[in-house]
Amino acid sequence: MFRLRLAPLRAAVVLAVGFVLLRVVYRVVFGGAGAGAGPLLLDLPLLRLDGPFSHITLLGPITLLGLGNAALSALPIAAVIVFFGVLNAVINVQALFARGAGRGPLRAISRSLVIAWATFPALLESVRRVRVARALRGERSIASLLVPIFEQTIERALALAASMETRGFAATRVVPGVCEAPVVLTDAGLDFGADWHLDELNVTLRPGTLTVIVGATGSGKTSLLHSMSGLFQHFYDGTQHGRIDIAGADRASTPPRDTAGFVGLVAQNVRLGFASETVHDEIGFALAVRDVAASIVHARVLEVAARLKIEHLVDRPIEQLSAGEASLVAIAAALVNHPILLLVDEPLADLDTAARDRVCTVLDQLAHEAGVCVVIAEHNTREFSSTADAWLQIRGSRVHHLSPEIGTTITTGSDADLNGRRPADSLAVSWDTARPSFGSGAGMAAAAQSATLEIGSVPAMPLASIRRLSVRQKADLVVDDVSFDVQAGELVALRGSNGAGKTSLLRAIALPTAADIVIVGGHDVRSRKRRTRRQSVTLVPENFDDLLFAITVAEECRRADRTLREPNFRRGLRAVTHTERSTAALFAHLLGFHAPTDAAPLLQRHPRDLSAGERLCLVMAIQLAARPALLLVDEPTRGLDQTARALVSAALLTAAGAASAVVFATHDDDFAQDLATRTLRMQAGRLAAPIEVRS
Amino acid sequence: MTDESATVRGNAAAAKIAVSDRPRERAGQARPRRSIRWTEGILAGGSLLAVAAFAWPLFVGAVPADAQVAVPIVAFALIPALIVALALTLDREMYTAKTVALLGVLSAVGAAVRIAGAGVGGVEAVFVLLILAGRVYGARFGFLLGLLTIAVSSVLWGGFGPWTPFQMFACGWVGAGAGLLPRWQNATGRNSSGQRMRATLEIALLAAYGVVASYLFGLLMNLWFWPFAVGSGTGISYEATADPGENLASFLLYSLVTSTLTWDTVRAITTVVGITLVGPAVLAALRRTKISPRR
Repeated sequence: MFRLRLAPLRAAVVLAVGFVLLRVVYRVVFGGAGAGAGPLLLDLPLLRLDGPFSHITLLGPITLLGLGNAALSALPIAAVIVFFGVLNAVINVQALFARGAGRGPLRAISRSLVIAWATFPALLESVRRVRVARALRGERSIASLLVPIFEQTIERALALAASMETRGFAATRVVPGVCEAPVVLTDAGLDFGADWHLDELNVTLRPGTLTVIVGATGSGKTSLLHSMSGLFQHFYDGTQHGRIDIAGADRASTPPRDTAGFVGLVAQNVRLGFASETVHDEIGFALAVRDVAASIVHARVLEVAARLKIEHLVDRPIEQLSAGEASLVAIAAALVNHPILLLVDEPLADLDTAARDRVCTVLDQLAHEAGVCVVIAEHNTREFSSTADAWLQIRGSRVHHLSPEIGTTITTGSDADLNGRRPADSLAVSWDTARPSFGSGAGMAAAAQSATLEIGSVPAMPLASIRRLSVRQKADLVVDDVSFDVQAGELVALRGSNGAGKTSLLRAIALPTAADIVIVGGHDVRSRKRRTRRQSVTLVPENFDDLLFAITVAEECRRADRTLREPNFRRGLRAVTHTERSTAALFAHLLGFHAPTDAAPLLQRHPRDLSAGERLCLVMAIQLAARPALLLVDEPTRGLDQTARALVSAALLTAAGAASAVVFATHDDDFAQDLATRTLRMQAGRLAAPIEVRS
Repeated sequence: MTDESATVRGNAAAAKIAVSDRPRERAGQARPRRSIRWTEGILAGGSLLAVAAFAWPLFVGAVPADAQVAVPIVAFALIPALIVALALTLDREMYTAKTVALLGVLSAVGAAVRIAGAGVGGVEAVFVLLILAGRVYGARFGFLLGLLTIAVSSVLWGGFGPWTPFQMFACGWVGAGAGLLPRWQNATGRNSSGQRMRATLEIALLAAYGVVASYLFGLLMNLWFWPFAVGSGTGISYEATADPGENLASFLLYSLVTSTLTWDTVRAITTVVGITLVGPAVLAALRRTKISPRR
């Protein structure tokens, strides 16, 4: 509660001095500094105002005593200002506020304050991320900084709210749960207005089983999952028809907060949903909001932590968790009420292999040893092929039950199921046409060709060379003396486990901090200007949403066009007409549309309403529109299903035709093998020695 | 928050989440709950009392001479008490996960903007957030957001003092005022040009309100502090014995030279520029996460 912080005191002293000076100035200007008999300093003429201000006189004589009196008269209030400065320096008001959170008549407002303080670190991180993204896009407008930060903040607020809601925040009544029938859907239907619906849902799930919901991105795995958690009906305002019973409670009339005692939910991006500052408080949150005594909360937290073997994490601050640890903590937080039903949304998306195994084992044990009914929405189906008891596949507007045996086959054959969809359909076309005839002979193909020719005539000179690149973060060397060359026409896969330094390396190539480290097409990238730098190299970062800040896709494309027009025009490059090299046309091309006009409906939408695969293509189009010689893409397949993955790999091939070479970081084995002409491996910040070349 | 029902839905896609809100809201309008009436009464009465406390210098003359010393003290005690009373009134209504999360996160953003602004010569952009959020989520949310933004930034920056409650109230009113601006039904058709016109009109309305709010905010904040800032013995000093018209004239001149020409104008310009640049995108982002009243 007490601490010493000098900044408030310093600020208060400055304010107090300013206050005294201001009072003296007022007296001088408004004729009040002439009092007393002291020596006359300055004899200014008296000016009398007229009209309603006739009682006011300006200036007048100034005496030393008058000035002294003015300063003296200001001292009491200056003293009050300094006094509060001292209080602020000594008392930790934040701790006083935090005490009221969760209880009492101001619990909503005090909880808001706790969230506000917990948001600050995330906000700083967000500013850092978006500034990088803005530099990558070559933008300097205020909107390109503020809008992505704001979008991230709102996204955090919603995830936080959903996680608080499902853990019983603001619950008004206690609904008893029935263990025998965790999930019963009877002739149920779900819809989100006209855009999406699921019909004829008849599903019964038993305790002690593990069920996996599969389906393409955007097919509604998450919505089906949340029709059970109640967030679909009560938080996202979807409409439910028919009947859904969750452990005996009618879902249509029971909000998630009232079923927190027996339904646990692990959200998609677990970090966004953390509402506390330590792991201990996070796991105990669902109990604390029900006013359970602190000692009981503590005992239950330790019990759950022991069950998941994460006792060593309990005292850790929440922001120091790795991705795998964060998933386990989120599972622990969902288990603290001993749920009958545990719902898990894409638990594997962000994890490397070791963490995936750990999470899968935990979920398996919960279902088959602890008797919990576990439901998982996931497109990485291979990991659950040996443990799942049932598969629910979403196709069109129906849910199909698959037996466990069929379930294992869909893991290998899921491409075939999805052939009816647009991107996969058009895939064949893009694969064939991508390289030779991109952009109907316009500037981009020409640029690529000229680059290839230039390189071809001087075989000794690579398109890009990275020379002794190192990146230091605080005390750690995250990229350690990396050198390699990229030839024109190459598609290089950069691989390695989490934390190997792939992301840092790519960012340092796109935004080098020292001269003569990144040379592309004979130019030192560091020495090029903000806009021309993007003709050498551009990066599509892992958090590609950070680059988007307009309210329609069309406007996003127009902005990208605008940043390019000026320098090209000035330098008198090839007269390329606007339509031929427009970002919108490139976007349509990356999506596999034959004509740019086919993408017109997409152009009118909000960028954040596009699917993940479409958004990635949009950002790739924006970054390719600068016609970079080298395109870098970080983790292009993260969180994407087979269809979107096919879309992205086709887009990368197209991109390799538009740029002269592409380097992409991934830890997806199949994806890298199918696509790459060469693989670089990173380990602990260094490039591993053997470089495999695909024949 | 019944006034939300008439919100313009600028972004068609944003309506996806909000569509099914409508029947529920209509049902709510048909049968106004008694507690809502009460709340409105308390909010309006509390705000009126607070205005009186802000304007204490203009009332002192009407008070018997013996009690005049007590007037500023009453005003200084009344404002924090009213804040607690209004916060207590609104707290129950805000007690849903979505509202609490949005309130917390947005007040963190507001506080960050305010503190960052102090570093660049007091260019306060915090009104942009208050106005946009008040517009989308309604007057009550806007009021609380104003209170919390000041509270959070004062605590972080270490500037807590007797002036904080006055700042909280004034900022709360800025947010609440944005929530009370006229709304228009989406009856003008669904064609895109009509929508674009409405969106532009809305931004213009909010920017105009931003200018008014900036100057009114400056006037209010000057009003309660004016006797302390100038002291006695100058031409624009507050005179307890003078007639109200004379005091008012003195105050207006004081306000003009103190903030209207400088800080308030900078604030008005910042607000207009901010609302024009990021307004459409921020409104769209806020509308995608519509909050519904506690049921």
